Amino acid sequence: MTAVQGAVEATAPVSRLHAHQAEFGVPTGREEQWRFTPLRRLRGLHSADVTRGAKVTVGISVAPGVTAELAQRGDPRHRTAFEPGDRVSAQAFNSYEEATVVTVPRDTEVTTPTVITVRGDDSSGAAFGHTVIRAGENARGVVVVDHQGSATYADNLEIVVGDGAALTLVSLQDWAGDAVHLSHHQASLGRDARLQHAVVSLGGDLVRIAPSVRYAGPGGDAELLGVYFADAGQHLEHRLFVDHAQPDCRSRVDYKGALQGASAHTVWIGDVLIRPEATGTDTYERNRNLLLTDGARADSVPNLEILTGEVVGAGHASASGRLEDHHLFYLMARGIPMEEARRLVIRGFFGELIARIAVPDLRDRIAAAVEAELAKTTTAGAAA
Amino acid sequence: MSETQEFVRACALADVPDEGALGLEIGGLPVAVVRAGGEVFALSDVCSHEEVPLSEGEIYDHTVECWLHGSCFDLRTGAPTGPPATEPVPVYPVKIEGADVYVALPAS
Repeated sequence: MTAVQGAVEATAPVSRLHAHQAEFGVPTGREEQWRFTPLRRLRGLHSADVTRGAKVTVGISVAPGVTAELAQRGDPRHRTAFEPGDRVSAQAFNSYEEATVVTVPRDTEVTTPTVITVRGDDSSGAAFGHTVIRAGENARGVVVVDHQGSATYADNLEIVVGDGAALTLVSLQDWAGDAVHLSHHQASLGRDARLQHAVVSLGGDLVRIAPSVRYAGPGGDAELLGVYFADAGQHLEHRLFVDHAQPDCRSRVDYKGALQGASAHTVWIGDVLIRPEATGTDTYERNRNLLLTDGARADSVPNLEILTGEVVGAGHASASGRLEDHHLFYLMARGIPMEEARRLVIRGFFGELIARIAVPDLRDRIAAAVEAELAKTTTAGAAA
Repeated sequence: MSETQEFVRACALADVPDEGALGLEIGGLPVAVVRAGGEVFALSDVCSHEEVPLSEGEIYDHTVECWLHGSCFDLRTGAPTGPPATEPVPVYPVKIEGADVYVALPAS
């Protein structure tokens, strides 16, 4: 290897976790990217012998001022810089027929959410999708992607936030109990762009969402929030990657989950890479997991790779545990019954995060969904 | 478990290696059929720690060893004999009829 090659390689990350590849092999389960995912439950989405042909129905409620259209595969107006993140993502990218394209035009401010509803009716065959969400220069917009019903679904979501634009994107995984959903969200932030990205995963047999952020210019600000609640047998996985390759960008990752029931499993991987050119980076990521019963399992792996010391801040935190006895004691000592005390603490745990999601209508729905999950805990507790 | 379990044919006895394991999928359930000390056992073919087929591991002292991190599971009880696994894997009743191995799986 020559010295020049060595110099170029010095700006590359040491890890190979996020190396983009032209071709992905069929995962065996031993790969770092796949080691937590039960491949046998993917119904072949990761392999060639997947049963194709199923459809999900995409409905769009378009806010005034926003444009939405369906683009056939290969439509030159929607040429994309999308790079698949793994085998399933590549399969979805090669298989989708129609992409949903939502655009908030430049210099437009839209506060009404545009809601994309993805509904599946049948989980026996696999469906593939592609969604592009663009916010033009200095635009302001809110987009919600709401997943419902039964499906075996792999898709990619491209988010392009233009220079000076601000976008809020919420992805709700409110699937029925038999759904399998794997998705890559790939966001690109222009100069001084802001993105609030929130993932809420409640339903489905297996859900694996991989949001990533890249900065196309300095001054970008990404806030990535997540709320998840896993019941018995559910596998909910969130794999985040923030690639700081531009100076003076900021990122905040905050994910909170609760688990209850036998074999409830959540996985949170939070990767942040600060490349040598990304001086002035300010990043922090946090994951909290609340194990409400025995038999549940939370895996949480924050990774931070720092290739320059000239940063404003870089940190991460992760904690997984059960409800604190002294929190419950405090409340019970004031006459609040055990079950009510539990609910109050859990409500507070999620409430702080839900309150930050910048779509007021959704906040009530998410809070109600968490309450419904908590009601199940009480029932489970009473049965035990 | 009080439910009556039905035995289903798993494989031919001759397919199970001596002091070894055979990985199978029966009705969507991964099952490891193990022969040790002349006896045949059946247990879930997924390590309770990570997603690893136990049938790829070695058999000794009436345990099957997970090759990834070395937890050994007792063939009779499914209990791990050492970390990192802490939870037992399910074990299933086995009967041998003629040249075939039958396994009773839980009704799902």
